[in-house]
Amino acid sequence: MEAIRKLFFCSILITVFRCVYCDDFKEEIFLKPLPPTHLYGYFQFVTLVNSETSSFHSHLAPRSLTEVISRFQVEELHLTLTEGQWRHHQWGYPVLDAAPGAELYAWFSPDVLDVDTQWKKLSSTLSGLFCASLNFIDNFNTVTPQMALWPMGAVKSGQNVTSQLRYASLPREIVCTENLTPWKKLLPCESSRGFSSLLNSRMIHNTNYHSIGVHVRKICKSNDCSETQLEIKQTVALVYDYDIINSNDWSFRKLFGQGLPGACPLSSESKIYIDVTSNDTQAYTLTPPPDSVIVSQRGGSDTKLAVYNIKADGQMINIGAKHNSKRDLPVSVPPPLHFNRYILGYGKEFGGIVTELTNNCWTSINVVVLENAPWWLPIQLSSLRVNGEAESSLVLSQYYSPGRSRQKPYHLELLIKLPPRSTTTVTIDFEFVFLKWQEYPPDANHGFYVGSALISANLPTARNYTSLPIGGTTFDSIVNASKQWYPIVFRTNGAMVSLPTPDFSMPYNVICLACTVVALAFGPLHNICTKELVLKPLGTPVSLTQKLFNLFKKKKD
Amino acid sequence: MTKQERKGEAEESNRMWASASFVGVLIIIGLPLWWKTTEVYRVSLPFDKIGAFDTLPHSITTDLTVLANDDATATEIAALIQKAFADSDVINLKITKSIISKQLHSTLDSVADESEAVEEVGATFDLTRHNSFYVVQRKPLFQDTWLAGDRVLFFRDAKAAKTVVEALKRVVYQTSVLEGAKSETADVARQTRFPPGAGYHIVLSVVHPNPEALNVELDAGEAVEDYIGSFVDELSVLHNFTLKSQWLHLLDFDFQAKEVKDTSDWGRHFSVRQERLHLLLTRLEERAATQVSDLPTLNLALYAVRCQASPLVIYDHTDKKVSSPVQAFMSPKWGGVVLGSPSATDCRQEHPTWRPDVRLIMGTFISQLRKLLGITDAEHIPGAHLEPLRSVTPRQWEIDNLLRIRTLEQLTSAERTLQSLAQLLGEISNIVINDDVGASINSAVDSIQRASELMQTGDLVEAYKMSQSAFLAAETAFMEPSLLALLYFPDDQKYAIYIPLFLPIMFPVVLSLKNLLLWFRGKPIHKEKTD
Repeated sequence: MEAIRKLFFCSILITVFRCVYCDDFKEEIFLKPLPPTHLYGYFQFVTLVNSETSSFHSHLAPRSLTEVISRFQVEELHLTLTEGQWRHHQWGYPVLDAAPGAELYAWFSPDVLDVDTQWKKLSSTLSGLFCASLNFIDNFNTVTPQMALWPMGAVKSGQNVTSQLRYASLPREIVCTENLTPWKKLLPCESSRGFSSLLNSRMIHNTNYHSIGVHVRKICKSNDCSETQLEIKQTVALVYDYDIINSNDWSFRKLFGQGLPGACPLSSESKIYIDVTSNDTQAYTLTPPPDSVIVSQRGGSDTKLAVYNIKADGQMINIGAKHNSKRDLPVSVPPPLHFNRYILGYGKEFGGIVTELTNNCWTSINVVVLENAPWWLPIQLSSLRVNGEAESSLVLSQYYSPGRSRQKPYHLELLIKLPPRSTTTVTIDFEFVFLKWQEYPPDANHGFYVGSALISANLPTARNYTSLPIGGTTFDSIVNASKQWYPIVFRTNGAMVSLPTPDFSMPYNVICLACTVVALAFGPLHNICTKELVLKPLGTPVSLTQKLFNLFKKKKD
Repeated sequence: MTKQERKGEAEESNRMWASASFVGVLIIIGLPLWWKTTEVYRVSLPFDKIGAFDTLPHSITTDLTVLANDDATATEIAALIQKAFADSDVINLKITKSIISKQLHSTLDSVADESEAVEEVGATFDLTRHNSFYVVQRKPLFQDTWLAGDRVLFFRDAKAAKTVVEALKRVVYQTSVLEGAKSETADVARQTRFPPGAGYHIVLSVVHPNPEALNVELDAGEAVEDYIGSFVDELSVLHNFTLKSQWLHLLDFDFQAKEVKDTSDWGRHFSVRQERLHLLLTRLEERAATQVSDLPTLNLALYAVRCQASPLVIYDHTDKKVSSPVQAFMSPKWGGVVLGSPSATDCRQEHPTWRPDVRLIMGTFISQLRKLLGITDAEHIPGAHLEPLRSVTPRQWEIDNLLRIRTLEQLTSAERTLQSLAQLLGEISNIVINDDVGASINSAVDSIQRASELMQTGDLVEAYKMSQSAFLAAETAFMEPSLLALLYFPDDQKYAIYIPLFLPIMFPVVLSLKNLLLWFRGKPIHKEKTD
């Protein structure tokens, strides 16, 4: 009886303690082998906080971020810093796709009237917070997507979300340790405990692809959505190459340089999910054995997930996989939709951007393609061809906003119906532009990056689909989450063009040459105009030059 | 005159006109044009007004009312006070003396409690007005003078006049601190308090290094709102405050504490040397995210010491225990830290739980905040009684004095900023002053003059606001990055461009000036050559 009373008292205490802050922290790792030679690792750290009080008094949520969110009245924010290119065709789909370089998009609250100014301030502040060059985001590289992006969080119905949205990407941004360190400081356990202690920069920057992200959105607290919560999700996506870790038997020690020192003591849930679906074709054993294996049927594809529940007891855990035979070379199943993008043309006058979209499904898929070309790459709507046709029946809707020099990028959005089992090619031409000499970046001959196109699709099948459902926060929400559609936003690969680049020492050479010519021409001109030529009478003492002159004259005679 | 001579003269005049036109184009049109186009843009500035700042009066007119039982006492006290403050260049006392009405006299003598007496004075006089103060006689007083939170000082009789003057000078008006606010070198109070500003963020960080072993039960947000909130509400006339709180988990700091045996519940305590403590600030600064705020941040940190290192006691540099119920330290212009140690009974529970004594900790934070915001603790004067603070709210006359300190500080700071800007403009010719900077300099100059006038009339709150806008405008002007736009365009590079162009052109043109002048005066150009 005494024990029961104690327990009861304890649980009351705990609930009281929890409700003082009403926030919750969860950490998860999702690992998925990407046959034949890669391994996908995805970390997510979710903090749920009460959205009213969080901006003033924070407990588990990072105060720096909540303060930025509330100061600029941001409803939803997505920031990713990525190095490398996700290969959709080969690797399938990531949980959250990200464009190479830096990518930032945000929805502002409907109370914000001057969205552009707030956007500029927000990007500058985040630039300081994450040590990234986000301060280079300005009107000339920002677009307002009309169809491609929709809020992931709770929005009041009837609200015009598109006008409050801004999107920008900086494909040239290089992501490294200096971005990871401030990112880790936002976590309640920082990097001292829990899953984040695995993220040591020496190992995670030694990958084929790494992407860190911060995603903030509002989610419903209850079913009727009368109250909202702020969800701050910090993610890391890594793709390891078995060639780099020297074997296809992986373990935490090989991937991260160390084992996992238990869960973060502040997290209410610390779980590791390993996608063991490929174990059927390519047998391997997990050590230590998982706590449970769950089978998820989602949209016609079965996924087996091995689950580990990690406790905050400080015990080192080293999860690994050992392959039974090393000779199997499995064939990867291509995803339902994949794409490719490249630059056409030669010379320094005209070029074109080609986006190829391949639909492997037996049904047609509607996608929105967003082309976002910087102002120095003017794309002409008149040159838009879909499968070589100017007036294609595949294009259901289109939006085009022409750019303006140094002020606004070119922005084209197409809603295309991709026919089953076909490849659709979207081509658009551009002209090269001469920049002012101050507008060239350092190392101008390196070339200019063109940002990724966004492809927003509603997939009919969940094959290769790993994203969480829109209402889900943690990975357990993907179990048996069959829906009619599986929405996802992809980023294509970026591209690079080489603009006409001048010789940068030219202006000084021109000044020097022009000055010399002017100086040389001016002297005689001035003399002729202002001086009188006087014949010298004979008999005067003859100078040396005169003698020479005379000598010359005599000979001529 | 021969035809040839005439022809020669005509040619000569042609030549001279050609030469004159070169001079006209290059020197009369070209040089001013070049001067105008390469000029550094500068809005015209009120340099004469900036130069005249030193002659502006910098004393604050303050109302003081002396109330005594008889005319002789009132005159004596008033005269002594007048004399003591006569040579002060910061305080300009406007003393009015009067005799206490019979009715008030009898009540003042009859009520036993001093605070009741203050209420009685408050019934007849307006004690809520800023920049006013009352010196009131009250016979049944045990000390010479008595002072509490209101704008009233009681004195016993004419013999207490010396103490009254001392109390006014050193406690109520604190003339030394006021002089320190406008002096060139910062005194101790100015080294401690935050630089002036329109507003501050106050952030309470609860540092919890060991969340799995110790449960800290504290609603940081509520504590900040309750205690700090009611303190800063009283100072809302000075600044806007935003209160915030955050938790910093797993931030472990190695105090390098030594175990010392004693007779407490623990049977030990840990000694941490004072010199080590400032390193904790570096660790806090890493994670406290003070840089995200747009306003200056006052940091308050409560460090929850681990059970294994409790209780932690600070030892000063002479290796002596700092005797205080709360182990705390302050860093000037940064904030304050309280080291909270759980008690032995807290730690010996099955689930160690520590409930910090919020009253005590917040009281410590408030005493630190008082210094950080500029309220200096008054020194003790023999014979003068000062009621100790019983609540979080600051004393009324402390707020008045803070207003005076800040007004003087902002005013002198704005003046110095503008004067050094004017000096810089004289020394460095490349500094651009665009319209915005010009406007903020002009508004700062106007506000300084206006604030100085308001100080003379004794309108303290308005003078404070005006001096604040002067300070902010002067700082914006001085810190404007556009000032430096051309600073790194050095002169030698200009000459590298100008010399090849100008030297070969200007040389013959300047030489031809002599001939041109001679010709215009009608003198022969060429000397007659004699064979």
